Amino acid sequence: MKSTVSRRNFIKGGLAGTVAATVLKENTSQAASFEGYPEGMGVLVDLTRCVGCRSCEAACNQEQKLPQPAKPFNDFSVFDEIEHGQKRRTDETRYTVVNRYDVPGQDHPLFRKIQCNHCQEPACLTSCFVNAYTKTPEGAVIYNAKVCVGCRTCMIACPFYIPTFKYSSAFNPRIMKCVFCYDTRLKDGKPPACVEACPQEALTFGKRSELIKIGQQRIRETSGKYEDHIYGEHEVGGTAWMYLSSVPFDKVGFDTHVPKEPILNLVKDFLGIVPMVLTIWPALFAGFHLLATRKDWLKGKTEDDHEEE
Amino acid sequence: MRLFSHQRPELPIVDHVKTDGTPWTLKEKLWLGLSMPDYFKQFFRNPVNWLMIGIFAVGLPLLLQRYIYGLTAVTHASNDYPWGLFLGFGLFGMVPLSASGFMLGTTVELFGRKDFHPIERLALLNGLLGYFFAVVYLEVDLGMPWRLPYPMVVSLGPAAVLFLVAWHVATYLSVQIAEVLPAFFEWIGWLKGKRVIRKMVLGLTIAGIILSTLHQGALGALFNYAPAKIHPLWLSINFQWIHFFCSSIFGGLSMVIVSSTLIRNFAGWRCDDTFKKSLDDITLKLGKGCSLAMITYLVIKLVAVAHDQEWEYLLTGWGGYFMLELGVGVILPMFMFAAAVRNNAPGLARAAAFISVVGIIWNRLNTSMIAFNWELYPEIPHWKEVWITITLYALYFITYRFIVYRLPIVYRWKGER
Amino acid sequence: MRTELLTRKKIAHTAMAMAMVGGVLLWTGPSRAMDAADAPETVEIDSLAKLYTGVHFDHAMHTEIASCGQCHHHTTGDKVTDPNCVRCHAKSGEADTVACRDCHSRERFSKEDLSRLDNPQLYHIDKPGLKGAYHLNCVECHQKMGGPTGCQDCHGMTAAGEQMFHTGGHAPAATPTGGHSGH
Repeated sequence: MKSTVSRRNFIKGGLAGTVAATVLKENTSQAASFEGYPEGMGVLVDLTRCVGCRSCEAACNQEQKLPQPAKPFNDFSVFDEIEHGQKRRTDETRYTVVNRYDVPGQDHPLFRKIQCNHCQEPACLTSCFVNAYTKTPEGAVIYNAKVCVGCRTCMIACPFYIPTFKYSSAFNPRIMKCVFCYDTRLKDGKPPACVEACPQEALTFGKRSELIKIGQQRIRETSGKYEDHIYGEHEVGGTAWMYLSSVPFDKVGFDTHVPKEPILNLVKDFLGIVPMVLTIWPALFAGFHLLATRKDWLKGKTEDDHEEE
Repeated sequence: MRLFSHQRPELPIVDHVKTDGTPWTLKEKLWLGLSMPDYFKQFFRNPVNWLMIGIFAVGLPLLLQRYIYGLTAVTHASNDYPWGLFLGFGLFGMVPLSASGFMLGTTVELFGRKDFHPIERLALLNGLLGYFFAVVYLEVDLGMPWRLPYPMVVSLGPAAVLFLVAWHVATYLSVQIAEVLPAFFEWIGWLKGKRVIRKMVLGLTIAGIILSTLHQGALGALFNYAPAKIHPLWLSINFQWIHFFCSSIFGGLSMVIVSSTLIRNFAGWRCDDTFKKSLDDITLKLGKGCSLAMITYLVIKLVAVAHDQEWEYLLTGWGGYFMLELGVGVILPMFMFAAAVRNNAPGLARAAAFISVVGIIWNRLNTSMIAFNWELYPEIPHWKEVWITITLYALYFITYRFIVYRLPIVYRWKGER
Repeated sequence: MRTELLTRKKIAHTAMAMAMVGGVLLWTGPSRAMDAADAPETVEIDSLAKLYTGVHFDHAMHTEIASCGQCHHHTTGDKVTDPNCVRCHAKSGEADTVACRDCHSRERFSKEDLSRLDNPQLYHIDKPGLKGAYHLNCVECHQKMGGPTGCQDCHGMTAAGEQMFHTGGHAPAATPTGGHSGH
């Protein structure tokens, strides 16, 4: 794998708990000012264009060498599949799925593709205690199965329910998730397989900064066609994959309550107290000890030692 | 065992030598000074052991199944609920109940409260085993259990909250082993080792406070990663770590009361007179500590609801459930503790402790599983997952009992100490 | 959206009526516009065919139900009506080429194509590629006019397509082998 510059690499050396925790502060403040790689790529998904042909699902399956699907990719009965009251989601056999939404007032159904949104400041990455995830300068959030312990905190932390676990394997489990076709395409400047397969150009690949301009142009120049919002421009601190929709986003399955800042920000306060506790507690409690045992100490140390235990 | 201790004056073992002056061998110590037939006689006479055998008969094959066929075989393998009972109960529930070690270590060693001395070792052991079994649960849950040391040595992700948990639990586990070792050294008769540990007690205790504060809090802060998934009443970004830390105080103390009660009632032969006589007094004092910690916890809980402007949630069904949890799990035992202290009724304090232990586990399960994905669908664990959870708890129980029966935890070693 | 639909229908109806009554070609605008008669009867759209076979496009039939500009924008000299296009293309006139492929890139997301977007003067930063242009044009209108919209209504599937879609000879066995989240 091409070596990608991780902004967290510089603290990899810190081994002892104290040392690691002391540099932690430095590290998190560094992360606070991180606004994503300027040249990072992304994809703009336009729900008004998607016709639910599932070509992206088929292309992903082929590109990522995923297992044979239960039904052919041109079988549209999958749109009616409901499990636990939920529409289809990603799992260890599929990195992306398209779901149909019949929104009242729309003369045709809307389709929403889900896959990893490749956050600018990914929650999976920042919650991983073995640094298994990397955000590459090209914009992909990739995963290293070689160091993963299988704790599944990334699945807890991902606000989009994207990473899945290969539970079916006892000896070689791993996280299964969309990697933006990083190894096979993105790092050579090529769009991911799903984008290339899309007949409708519902998926527009380009620099993230450029995509925001394109999205704004579409909203501005087709008055009333789109909701005046690009989902992913600010959600959880920004995502590389963003969405345009003709109906309010919560009508087509988007979580509109996700924070508008990186998930990392929510644990920063706690991480901030760590160096404080590490430095103040020893002195504080040693002081308490001296005060509390002053009488015994005055009485004479030898007796005291004898009596204890 | 009770029977034999009446018939044979040299039992239970409290010294290196028998009444006739010959030393106990290590093997004899392990068999509690009984012959093998006698040992098994008393073992099978105990109905609890039959229950254990029943649990293990089903549970061990299930564990084997988990390691051969993967988590799919014994859980629902949910991608929506990545953490199930193994972590919800085993990690998030066991760790706060193990706060006893640092609580009483601090009280006795740092604050010089010698009156708690008779229960200090039990509190330390309770802490050690709780943590150890939290790691055992983790080893069942982890996808690649053989990579447990990776966050320490192979690939470090120090900006993650879980990194703190891993490091602190690992180091604290070592601290607790060191704190319990003197009992072991007395039992095997290696005084040099004990003296080495004695010199480090103060340092170990302070390390214990630091590590406990941080990782009890860190377990709470872990849930800050899922702000959009957990019901707002169970997640307060600013206060989550304080909630978890504060509740672990009465959780740990209550667990020691429960454990000492069980030992006094069902293994009375093993307790010495100091332990038995001082227990009522200690229980009430611990109960007082619990009620103080509980009122603090309640106040911070309310502050969090006010701070996050969540009053209207209290009027929903979830709000009712939230208040039920606080009412039954915290407010009820809090008043029971207070009444017990006022009326000098240790029995009431013991009942309160039992309720508060259940309350803590209930809170952790609510946070990690029930209020998690509250807008999706509820996850009811697979029966095999439940059974394995119970099996591991049974393993915890017999390990606990095995050590208490042997090492000088609730009695004083009569030989050279 | 609804008014747009009506307008389009109206245009189509008018066009058809004129075609029937006059028996001659459409009158599409005052400027030097191209005539549908200049256009080919049929077009084989197959330069991108890989997973699907190309489309045998009945151009003559489509000229009867749509104006040139509806597909060819301003290039045929049709008067543009979209207020956004009018801003620049009100007097554009006939272009040198009307073929889709001459403006819409075959390699839409290639490095070279994307690098063109770096030009800050460029207005058309959102011009679809060739495949997108075809489908966006055809499918949107077919949806509105009730034309066929299924993939295989216009295309046949190739062997490579069947392989990728796990269909036809590559269809999964009747008993599912996986694909569910394992609940």
